[in-house]
Amino acid sequence: MTDATSVAAAASSRDPAVGLVAVASLRGLLESLEELQVRNARDQGWSWQQIAEVLQVSKQAVHKKYRRYGY
Amino acid sequence: MFERFTGGARRAVVVAQEEARERRASSIRTEHLLLGLYSVPDSIALRLLAERGVDRAEVVADVSALRSDAGAVVDADALATLGIDLDEVRRQAEEAFGPGALERTRAGRRERGRRTGHIPFHATAKKVMELSLREALRLKHGHIGTEHLLLALLHSGTGAAHDILVHRGITLDDMRVAVADAGTGEASG
Repeated sequence: MTDATSVAAAASSRDPAVGLVAVASLRGLLESLEELQVRNARDQGWSWQQIAEVLQVSKQAVHKKYRRYGY
Repeated sequence: MFERFTGGARRAVVVAQEEARERRASSIRTEHLLLGLYSVPDSIALRLLAERGVDRAEVVADVSALRSDAGAVVDADALATLGIDLDEVRRQAEEAFGPGALERTRAGRRERGRRTGHIPFHATAKKVMELSLREALRLKHGHIGTEHLLLALLHSGTGAAHDILVHRGITLDDMRVAVADAGTGEASG
């Protein structure tokens, strides 16, 4: 799905309206995908520590972010 | 105030919200109200604008040329510039986690709320609504019609609609006279 040429084109776009919207969208998509994967990992019995290690963040960070969702 | 709006003025406001949503704006702004006016057929506002050579297609083009305020969190078109196919990501997520998996996440729900939920009026659009009441009172009209919304949009400092109209030679003073001449507003829309 990722075409090297188009990534290079967007990365080199000097129009902030194009580049910033793309980055914001990527962040929104990242949030959704991370939530899906964290919930799935918890459903499969992974500990917060295991999840944090693979995500390369602190256990506190991932726990704090998702605990309130009840995962 | 809203109860004084004519059917036409109400329709203009409703369409303004639809325009804002379609354009993925985070709020309803004056340019959306201007587009809303164009959705009311045979209104006094449209007649006055047409008489002065302001064409719908040109106004739509002007509004489209305005910088988008990009209300959407996940913009499929923006992701496409990075070579990411949002539909494909969604398809993969649903294959693994079931139908609507991406939209069911918290981040996804926030996104959907922006697309289908309530879009607030921008402060400038609220100001225009207030000014439309003031314009109606000034003319001693008992209702607020499309022509009063048009007058309100011509107040300086109210946003993009003002700039678009003034750029086409429409002025508040001229339009006030024209609206007053158009009658007492008995049959306005």
